[in-house]
Amino acid sequence: MSELFVVGISWRTAKVAVREKLAFREDEVADTLTALTRELPVSEALLISTCNRVEVYGVAKAGSDAPSTVRGWLAQRRNAKLAELTDALYERRGPAAIRHVFAVASSLDSLVVGEAQILGQLKDAYALSGTAGTSGPVLSRAVERAFGVAKRVRTETTIARGAANVSSVAVELAGRVFGDLAGKSVLVVGAGKMSSLAARHLYTNGAQRIVVTNRSPEKAEALADEIDGVAQPWADLERLLAGADVVISSTGAREPVLTRAMFKRVAKARKYRPIMIIDIAVPRDAEPQIQDIDGVYLFDIDDLDKVVAANLAERAKAAEHAGRIVEHEAGQFEHWLRTQGVVPTIRALREKFAQIADAEVQKALDQLARKELTREQQREQLQRVVQLVINKLLHQPTTVLRGSAKEQGELRAGVLADLFALEISDQQPEVPETEPADDKSAEVQA
Amino acid sequence: MTGPVSVAVSPAFWVAVVAYCVASVLLLVVLAGKANVRPIAVLFVVIAMIAHGTDIGWRGVEGVHPAGSVREALGFLAFIVTGGYVLASTRYRLTLGGVVVMPVSLVLLLLARLTPAGDRSEDLSVLGRIHISLATLGVGIFALASALSAIYLVEDRALRRKKFDTAAFKDRGAPLEALDRLAHRLVWVGFPIFTVALVLGAIWTSRLGQDLGRIEYLLAVVTWFVFATLLVARQIYGWRGRRAAKLTLEGFAAALAVLVIYLVRRIVG
Repeated sequence: MSELFVVGISWRTAKVAVREKLAFREDEVADTLTALTRELPVSEALLISTCNRVEVYGVAKAGSDAPSTVRGWLAQRRNAKLAELTDALYERRGPAAIRHVFAVASSLDSLVVGEAQILGQLKDAYALSGTAGTSGPVLSRAVERAFGVAKRVRTETTIARGAANVSSVAVELAGRVFGDLAGKSVLVVGAGKMSSLAARHLYTNGAQRIVVTNRSPEKAEALADEIDGVAQPWADLERLLAGADVVISSTGAREPVLTRAMFKRVAKARKYRPIMIIDIAVPRDAEPQIQDIDGVYLFDIDDLDKVVAANLAERAKAAEHAGRIVEHEAGQFEHWLRTQGVVPTIRALREKFAQIADAEVQKALDQLARKELTREQQREQLQRVVQLVINKLLHQPTTVLRGSAKEQGELRAGVLADLFALEISDQQPEVPETEPADDKSAEVQA
Repeated sequence: MTGPVSVAVSPAFWVAVVAYCVASVLLLVVLAGKANVRPIAVLFVVIAMIAHGTDIGWRGVEGVHPAGSVREALGFLAFIVTGGYVLASTRYRLTLGGVVVMPVSLVLLLLARLTPAGDRSEDLSVLGRIHISLATLGVGIFALASALSAIYLVEDRALRRKKFDTAAFKDRGAPLEALDRLAHRLVWVGFPIFTVALVLGAIWTSRLGQDLGRIEYLLAVVTWFVFATLLVARQIYGWRGRRAAKLTLEGFAAALAVLVIYLVRRIVG
């Protein structure tokens, strides 16, 4: 039976210096997949290459040791020494591979558990394998199920909840105060890199306007251009604060530039409408006492880090629940995979039975059309047809069973008894021969 | 027409009691971090509301007007609070609010149904019925505003004190600005209703020849003044947030005191 496998390298097993040796550009993936399925005993293949992982998912041809050959092939393809990669490369086969792809799609194997990017990357990789023509029934089913599992994990657990970086935390905290950021104004005080990132993040999350102010007007202009904001003079700081909803401050000043006295005036001018200050400067730009003023919410860099830590702890807790979902889904998928081995037999059996029944029914119908029959004769004819179908169906297995050697015969008889739920008593009447009746026997004996 | 003072509790009452209890516990479980329990908790909140409403309807069929006495009005008040909570929950995640509202509604319902009925009251005039109905509605709306204000204060405290690992923060409830705005709107709606109820109450009381200086009447006037102050201060000085939330709670506490005094008087005669 074909077996799903994965061979790869990830942030768990190797540093970036090793991972980059195996990385593939997007435009290399399709050719690589085609070559892989052509040169190795692999019938289906998918390649995912991100900053945190390079993995080949494949279906091994029956009787082959595909994962081992893929390891060497990957190293050779990237001109890397296999010996250097041996410790970093991992492989999973069968059920373990299924669990792995489900866990990867659900972001349980990510550096930041619960991040959403990996699912998109896996979808892109799947699309590329489709383009290359290397995704087949088993891989497609596994990957598509992995997308379903990922969706379930995100819906049923809190794994994706809570920001996991400082910029996202700024958005999350603003959401706690304002809810929707639409129509809100962001004031960037200072021209630091971090504040520009956070401001941009707020902007992409719905904030309407970004204003930048800095002691150096040139730097303010430059940053405003970079983030689609408007530069305003430093001298207008208090007025700008009165008009802002979210303030991101990182000036590099040695003394606080946002003082309590200033904010008492600002809060009054704002009629105590809420204002949130994200102070990511070290030393801090805002006096801590500011947060005692009604309507003013102040967060410094330590607070943001605390939120990240709390969110990550929450995600780790959710990951346990997510792991159980993955386990359950993997079990179901394995069951499906196992049944795939018998599906062709079931299909052939049904087709054969249907053919026999159709043929006999057709013959009977032709004969009925030629003669006028009484109700009793119709009943007898119907019984005869059913008997004929039974005989034909049982002829082959009965013949094989009779002709089997003792041990094999008993084995086959046992299987039949099991399949048809037969209750077998010790004293059986003589079993009639089930030679297929020739066409004449089906003639109506009116 | 005067209805009976007391009617045996309906089966719906017991369903409501059980549903309120289960909903309270489940909302606590949700707040403790079991997010997947939320749909079941919401289901029990809705069951509690429906059963509560059915119980009021049942009593109506038996001839007991929901505003026929303070005791009945308490049950109706609890229904308004629960209904308002369910309505607000369709827009915001209010787990924290549910943890407060569900037990409060349960206690009010139990007080309304299981406390001694007291002596049969005198015939209620139309004026009296309108007064009790409007006062119940007004206080119900104030109760909702107070619940939102309470949530505001808890969330505000968690945010200011940087308690990022507390249930209040982790629950990701309604944003502060929305809570403040919604509470303010409710006070705006409840205030005129309560004002009319107060005036009608004064007229009714004087017609009955009762002393207007009784403590419950004075407390009702205090309630009116607190909410009037809140509306004026917000309009003119921009009072909002914590100050507004605290004032809303103080006003509601006065209104609640009026109800409790009425209830005690009714029980002890």
